[in-house]
Amino acid sequence: MKIEEFNNAIKSKISSGYELKEDKDSYGNASAWIILSNKRDSESVAKAVKAYKGRCIVATAYKNIDGTHTVIYHFDIEGLIINLQLETEDQSIFSITPILPSANWAEREIREMYGVEPIGHPDKDRLFLDYSLAKGVLNEYISLSKMQLGVSETDVLWENVNKEVKQ
Amino acid sequence: MKEKITIGPFHPELEESVYFKLVADENRTVTHVEIINGFIHRGMESLVTQKNFMQNLILTERVCSLCSNNHPFAYALAVEKISGVKVPPRAEALRVIADEVKRVASDLFNLAMLTHLAHHHELMKDTMDAREHMQDLKEIIWGNRMDMSANQLTGVKYDLNEEKIKLILETIALVEPKVNALQDRYENDESIRAKTIGVGVLPYEDALELGVTGPVARGSGINNDVRVVAPYSLYGELKPKVTLRDGCDVHSRAMARFGDIVEAIRMIKEVVANLPEGDTYVEKRPHIPAGEAVVRVEAPRGELIYYLKTDGSQKPVRMKWKVPTFTNWEALKVMILGDKVDNVTMILNSIDPCISCTER
Repeated sequence: MKIEEFNNAIKSKISSGYELKEDKDSYGNASAWIILSNKRDSESVAKAVKAYKGRCIVATAYKNIDGTHTVIYHFDIEGLIINLQLETEDQSIFSITPILPSANWAEREIREMYGVEPIGHPDKDRLFLDYSLAKGVLNEYISLSKMQLGVSETDVLWENVNKEVKQ
Repeated sequence: MKEKITIGPFHPELEESVYFKLVADENRTVTHVEIINGFIHRGMESLVTQKNFMQNLILTERVCSLCSNNHPFAYALAVEKISGVKVPPRAEALRVIADEVKRVASDLFNLAMLTHLAHHHELMKDTMDAREHMQDLKEIIWGNRMDMSANQLTGVKYDLNEEKIKLILETIALVEPKVNALQDRYENDESIRAKTIGVGVLPYEDALELGVTGPVARGSGINNDVRVVAPYSLYGELKPKVTLRDGCDVHSRAMARFGDIVEAIRMIKEVVANLPEGDTYVEKRPHIPAGEAVVRVEAPRGELIYYLKTDGSQKPVRMKWKVPTFTNWEALKVMILGDKVDNVTMILNSIDPCISCTER
């Protein structure tokens, strides 16, 4: 898969413009960076990845100093990594899981850790954290002891398990 | 009559904590599956942003024990990419040797667990016996049976002399015939075949859609081995031969792992025989400027990817990693649904789950 070929495939599909950067590691493996100006266009890129039988490897999110969030999807098509970067000011992105099921966990994790909601995601359940912990825990600092004690001081987990067993 | 069955969070047949809620019909066939995770979540991605680059080398090695060499390997590659450092050829070779030794031991452990769950304890004993040679080798050369501490930023921490090379070759000479005999037994043993063929089926289309990697993908006929599709370190020259199986079941995944082990042994021998001379690391400590990097390596369980973002300070701004089990997990639902309750833990084992890695 060539970056140019993928670029040609998405060029006409993206409505609000984007920046394309190319990158190469010391072993000669190329990767592409696509920086979107409108987060809505992530769906068009995901459709192009699907058309090439690619997959979503994972997605990274982080909080910027001004309070906005950056989300980067990492796609793979035949060994080529395509990084799709988008910004969100209102803590929401448009879920690509309905197009690429491989993005399922990645988007759920972003919702859980940063409170960024993937709109249209089919799964509303928590991924790793218990419901007693607020969404967006990585947006603030929570000490491990508080996190662990917060869980173990209550019987929430045990009661939930017990309820299931009794049913 | 419907029956509700729970397995976990703690259970003798689970290596790590995970919680299955199953619904089965009167034939004990699973009709509904729900998996609850999060028992080993430690917030490590937050922790790495509070440690400096040297400390994180130690921390990444402790994400999990079975693929403990791949995490610092990938992390070092990410730092080196941002710093623009090219490691010496001898360091590349030593990195590959450490990684492949680890792969043999890790895959043999998973296969031993498979036979344990299939209640074939003689075969389990023999598999663990073969693995034990690799464990002893790790202990002698790297000083530890699990965390090898082989990698450092800009190179490796260890070196091989003639005596150690001889030891590696002697160990391989012991292990190789055992692996070949085991491969034959796993392939042809009646009881193993009866318990694993047609169990935990993940069809090719589902595997492709869910983006599974490693032996799980290879067992369903998909080759996305990072060492082949985007070769790093010496793998471009070594050209690993990938074993693809189309049975899509527990047996196919086990046999794909045997293919990995056989290739790992071949590559260890080849690299040791042609070990380049020179330094094992770049002496000058790297300057780590602001930047970002995405790197991948092939862990024993599949693709491991690291994203690193730096701002020129001594700590990462953001570091994210995705382990093979993170994506292979969703495939479990496809594999378990419609299969027997008694096979659930064996199907779980067939993706070689690493839950400590997945939850971080």
